[in-house]
Amino acid sequence: MEFEFSAAEKAFAEDVRRFLRDNPLDRFPLDGMDAGYGSGAHSRAFMRALAERGWISMCWPEAYGGQARPMFFKLVLFEELALAGAPFGPLAGSWQTADAIIEYGSERLRRDVLPAVARGEATFWQGYSEPDAGSDLLALKTEARRDGDHYVIRGHKIWSSHAGIATHGLVFTRTSREARRSRGFSMFVVPNETPGMDIRPIRSLTGGVYHYEVFLDDVRVPAELRLGPEGEGFQALLNGLDSDRFWGRFYKAPALERVLRRLVDHANTTGAGRDAVLRRQLAAMAAEIAALRLLFLRAACLLRDGAPISYETAVAKVYADETGQKLARLGMDLLGSWAPLRAGSREARLDGEISHAYLTSLGHTIAGGTAEVLRTTVAVRGLGLPAEPRKA
Amino acid sequence: MDFRPSPAQQLLVSTARDFLRKHCPPELVQRVLDARGVDDALWRRMAELGWQGLLVPADFGGSDGSLLDVILLTEEIGRAVAPGPFVPSAVVATAALLAAGTADQKKRLLPAMAAGERIVGVALASAGNSCAIDARGRLTGRALFVEAAHVADALVVVARAGGDTALLLVPTDRRGIARWPLETIGSEKLFEVAFDGVAIGADDRLEPAAARREALAAGALARTAEMVGAAQRVLELAVEHAKTRVQGGRPIGGHQAIQHACADLVRDVDASRGLLYAAAWKASEGAPAAAEVAMAKAYASEACLTVVRRAHQIFGAIGYCEEHPLHLLHKRIHAASLDCGDAALHLEDVAQAIGLA
Repeated sequence: MEFEFSAAEKAFAEDVRRFLRDNPLDRFPLDGMDAGYGSGAHSRAFMRALAERGWISMCWPEAYGGQARPMFFKLVLFEELALAGAPFGPLAGSWQTADAIIEYGSERLRRDVLPAVARGEATFWQGYSEPDAGSDLLALKTEARRDGDHYVIRGHKIWSSHAGIATHGLVFTRTSREARRSRGFSMFVVPNETPGMDIRPIRSLTGGVYHYEVFLDDVRVPAELRLGPEGEGFQALLNGLDSDRFWGRFYKAPALERVLRRLVDHANTTGAGRDAVLRRQLAAMAAEIAALRLLFLRAACLLRDGAPISYETAVAKVYADETGQKLARLGMDLLGSWAPLRAGSREARLDGEISHAYLTSLGHTIAGGTAEVLRTTVAVRGLGLPAEPRKA
Repeated sequence: MDFRPSPAQQLLVSTARDFLRKHCPPELVQRVLDARGVDDALWRRMAELGWQGLLVPADFGGSDGSLLDVILLTEEIGRAVAPGPFVPSAVVATAALLAAGTADQKKRLLPAMAAGERIVGVALASAGNSCAIDARGRLTGRALFVEAAHVADALVVVARAGGDTALLLVPTDRRGIARWPLETIGSEKLFEVAFDGVAIGADDRLEPAAARREALAAGALARTAEMVGAAQRVLELAVEHAKTRVQGGRPIGGHQAIQHACADLVRDVDASRGLLYAAAWKASEGAPAAAEVAMAKAYASEACLTVVRRAHQIFGAIGYCEEHPLHLLHKRIHAASLDCGDAALHLEDVAQAIGLA
């Protein structure tokens, strides 16, 4: 056993901290809302700054312009950025998409998209959910019809994060009707300016825009933009969702640690921290956040070692989201009458960060697999309990 | 970063699990619980395997293990609800002697403790402790919740000495010591130990007295390991039950209400174990680990009790019966959650560690 980063990983953490010291975060303009997951707001300028240091592509093979660094460097980068509250919103999505393109993308995707990702310019939205296909994703209706060396995509996607400010969509479609429910799907990497695509914002209960719905009205795309073999998109999607649970939540623990530190400072300043019950609540949160970090690091070791993962990322994702909700609730209780004040308001405490975290956290146990679906995954895939009978 | 025990540690764990499955079935636990709380044959066999001496250096007849090794072994002991004062004698008292014993004290006790021939109990808890040494060097007062005092040859006792704290190593056959049993719901045998003007000599002191903290930290980790091991067993039993108990033509584990409960058991056990291993590793490496130990103990106390309470609901009526092992696991987790600092005490340590003024 060993529960610390290696010397090289620690040295890299120091590099990241130096970068953050040299580049105060207020220098980076923000383009899109912080959805509370821990990766901060969407900032193109910040993504470019990461790209300048080679950090976006650092773990790619050298043949694709990377430095072939071990995956733990990504975890180190995530931890340091999240502890600092940096705006690296699109980074996890860029990494996941790039990995998929490196693994089974066409030459054209590798040539066109990877360099743009490495420069911090290409970012991605996920076109998975549809109005009638949420937890039951395979009920989706969007179709891609083959037409020579092109596909014509028609359908309606929804809950696509930052679709209006990203550069490409990952559009999950049905390409054929097959006897097996999980076959006949294909994924496409579609540039945002493609004719026939209509991207409309959805205002969330925070008052800001994070999600979009996307209408695809005979969107014509070259076959080379298909990610992986035709009809085999479901496995790619599952890999994507599995990896989403991990990469899209890994930074939650350090981000919550940062919020907890702010709450502790606040409790010390106001004197509320002398209350025995509150002390225990804050201390228990510190333990939960530490436990959360370890659940993710354990999953990270399994991923690194190529060991099978059955339930570990599902457990970690649910725990991340529920721990985040708990901390936000505790923060709201601590701030009392000041809790609902939003960022920018007179008298707002902690920059209005807590009310925003509270509201955004409500969506976390729904997005990327609801807590209920994932608990079922843990029970069936992890513990071997019998699956509920499902209608064909 | 590596969560895997070494090959030697894996062997230690699998050997312990096989041994305890064979020599410490739930029927034995129940029988010992109803009797003196220690099974001499089991205790002797454990010593033959080197368990009581695992923390003891080879120079003193031990098997020279690390604290992390002891924690992994204790997890198996918790899993089997193995009776006997392993944690107080082989972990807490041993750690106190190693940290603060004189060469003579170590030579006199550690080899015999490692061989399973001597048991040293501990009276280190602050709850119910009124022990004090007067100006003439006599120990008076009482200590509550002292485990296995009836079979202990000596006790490590914390006592006030003027404005200071003293750590003492007191033979139980000394004049003025009385031991009264407390009746508990679990398998551990707890005692009130009363000291009435017990003569304390220079040889009876362990110094520095601050070694008490080190010993309690080792004990807190060991109690956490017991909880994690027991909770893991509860999880396995509950899942097995959910797969095999059929109602309305289907296993109850085919229903989401039970599936989601089981998923939460996994989370609680895995999260507790992560904190335990990280804290034990750090302490084992000799790094300051007080905050990590406190987090692990506080977290597991809450989480492992939640696991077993939820399991009672999954088991339904059968889990309410004495013949079913669930209550043994439950009571062991509860007892372990209190010993070497309860959750409230450890949370206050965490509160200070995270900077609460």
